[in-house]
Amino acid sequence: MRFPYTVFPARPDAAFPDRQTISRPILTVTLERGELSIAAFAIVDSGADNCLFPASLAIQLGIAIPNQNTYVFSGTAEQGQIAYFETVQATVWNGNRGERPLRFQLYAGFCDTLEHIGMGLLGQQGFFSRFKVHFVQPENFFELS
Amino acid sequence: MAPLDLTAVLKDAPVGEWIALSCAQDRIVATAKTLAEAVRAAHQKGEEHPVVMKVPAVSSLIL
Repeated sequence: MRFPYTVFPARPDAAFPDRQTISRPILTVTLERGELSIAAFAIVDSGADNCLFPASLAIQLGIAIPNQNTYVFSGTAEQGQIAYFETVQATVWNGNRGERPLRFQLYAGFCDTLEHIGMGLLGQQGFFSRFKVHFVQPENFFELS
Repeated sequence: MAPLDLTAVLKDAPVGEWIALSCAQDRIVATAKTLAEAVRAAHQKGEEHPVVMKVPAVSSLIL
């Protein structure tokens, strides 16, 4: 299933004075737990070990955090961060009526430190472990199979 | 393939707030300080399936 890259506005800075936009491999993911659901953006991130989302999404799904499924990780900063994991249903779809939505069970982490990003990360365990992912950035798309 | 270009939609989006986009992702339906408030406002405006995101204060993300 083919998805377009998503283009976001960006502010120029000293390193990139001419940059006005940033292009990212983003999926709109619908997370469901019971009768509750929320649709959010998530970056397809081969550098992430796991699939993580902002903690606010857990609240929308009725997931009580903190829970016992804790996971300590770090990003570019040295300081450790904590995510709380729960199993949810995830669905992605490119809107093409000729293709069926991809629906899968996902053991996802929710953490406060992604709140300022406001998007999820679809990483190795749970996403890349399930799909073959083919990035074609020069042509603005990526594919899942 | 043409990218999904959100630059026009997000041009005036408030930095640091949660945004509820329409299901088609072609307009901002609601903004709020919290995700729950943004979703609630979107539902009140008739958008049953909003797509939520937050506008980060910094453009570039290295995660």
